[in-house]
Amino acid sequence: MNQTRPGPVQYAVLTVLAIAFLYPIWWAVSSSFKPAAEIITSPLSLGGPTLDNYRAMLADVPIGTGFANTALVLAVKGAMTMFFCPLAGYAFAKYAFPGKNLLFGVVLLTLMLPTLVLIIPLLLEMSALGWVNTYQALILPGSIDAFSIFWMRQTIAAIPDELIDAGRVDGAGEFAIFARVVLPVIRPGLAALAVLTTMNVYNDVVWPVVAVNDTEHQTLQVVLATLAQNITGNRIGADFATVWGELLAAGSLALLPLLAIFVLLQRHFINGILAGSVKG
Amino acid sequence: MSSLTTSAARAAHARPRPWRAVRLSPYLFIAPFFVVFAAFGAYPLIYALQLSFTRWRGAGEAHWVGLDNYLYLLTSPDFWASLANSAVMWLLIVPIQLVAGLGGAVLLANARLRLRGLFRVAFIAPFVTPLVAMAQVWIVVFDRDYGAVNYLLNLVGLPDVGWLTSTAWSKPTLALLFLWKTTGFAIIILLAGLQAVPGGVYEAASLDGASRWRQFWSITLPLVRRSMAFLVVVQTLAVFQMFAEPFVVTEGGPYGSTTTAGLYLYEHITASDLGTGAANSFLLVLLVFGLSLVSVRLLRPKDGTS
Repeated sequence: MNQTRPGPVQYAVLTVLAIAFLYPIWWAVSSSFKPAAEIITSPLSLGGPTLDNYRAMLADVPIGTGFANTALVLAVKGAMTMFFCPLAGYAFAKYAFPGKNLLFGVVLLTLMLPTLVLIIPLLLEMSALGWVNTYQALILPGSIDAFSIFWMRQTIAAIPDELIDAGRVDGAGEFAIFARVVLPVIRPGLAALAVLTTMNVYNDVVWPVVAVNDTEHQTLQVVLATLAQNITGNRIGADFATVWGELLAAGSLALLPLLAIFVLLQRHFINGILAGSVKG
Repeated sequence: MSSLTTSAARAAHARPRPWRAVRLSPYLFIAPFFVVFAAFGAYPLIYALQLSFTRWRGAGEAHWVGLDNYLYLLTSPDFWASLANSAVMWLLIVPIQLVAGLGGAVLLANARLRLRGLFRVAFIAPFVTPLVAMAQVWIVVFDRDYGAVNYLLNLVGLPDVGWLTSTAWSKPTLALLFLWKTTGFAIIILLAGLQAVPGGVYEAASLDGASRWRQFWSITLPLVRRSMAFLVVVQTLAVFQMFAEPFVVTEGGPYGSTTTAGLYLYEHITASDLGTGAANSFLLVLLVFGLSLVSVRLLRPKDGTS
């Protein structure tokens, strides 16, 4: 890029924007340590600090269950994505087989499908199966997604064919070649896939809210959405101070893990997003 | 394709063993996706298509009504209003994000910028935050009486603005939430496009006496065109499906001014009007599909390179 030294104007613009971008996050976290009554009535003050909101939240809100459920969904759904998507990507990248183009076309077509379209029929399907309020309802739909397959196909296509043929000459089975030759080579891509999958599953809200309405199976985002629903309808008012305190405490706890992952694993995270813009 | 066939031929040469394994394994490897898609994608999709031709309120008999649901929607002012709301949202979001994202990316791509990492973290951080919690924060920050934004306005002598309570400002305020949350994503995508520009190109242009603006128009812009096209498609899909933002922050109000296409669709579900909801879904799919095709076509480089 043009390597002119940025002037004071550029720094000023960037600084103001950076503050504006970070302010809502800072407000949420700092307000969670304020006395609940002051959160809404004087949102700009810096009362406290107090842990009352966290105490109230831990007493009233099943946040532990939320974290545990999110962890469980993340582990299973993540494992499925991390195993089946590279496997399918490998088949599409390195095999010639009848019907391949048609089948890959179907994969690409599903990319265009807006998630909202499936919500109603999927919910009806879940109730027909008796799966409302179950882990399988949270985990299975979308567990092997087209985007990840598409991306893994692009990544694996870059592996030289010689490497794979060498495995064949050594007498390795087809799956063994995938596990021992392909997977180790695409490790950076897998790391990026893991980070992006984590973000998507962790922050997923629409489907979990629809699929789950009991406390036992609530994910973290469902817990937050339920708290938010307690506020809407009568948003600003002293009665709701406690709920506000609880929401901000829960929200702060919820945003911390991902923010930490993002800051620590920036490179993988950015690679994950970029993979989406790579077109075949 | 040619490399694939030669590789297969070479493999066949090298090994007299299990032919069937090589033939069958690709199908086995892709089977899990198709099983999951058939069960939780194709089946509900076909079911929804069927549902869209019936009147069904979630219980009892479903009555076949032909195209009634579609006709109802296409003649309903509310349906068109929801599309119009989404179209306005699109105008408030996509052009601004393209320009702001490109500006941000150009600044952040400069290796001589100090604190580059810090700025990058600041702009991308909103993208990883949970939407529900941050949408709630929006309610407070933009509250008419207590919010930080009006407080700042008052400081410089401007009157209060009903950010979320007036029909004039409700859309821009929601658009701002969307912009705040996703512009970091846009910056990353555009940064990638910019970094693909070899530095030597700019030096050569400078030597030829091309001004900074001229360099931007004739070098930078054409090279990030693909990234921009990608962004427009992705964000068009996202804006027309926008649901959680108005659902949490405004519940579609005031006076339906933030009832986006996605939220309007959801209202059929809460009203148990599932047939109309399904029909609405398909109209939305067609619209989104068409819009994506148009934006890809418009932003395609003119020289015809993919």
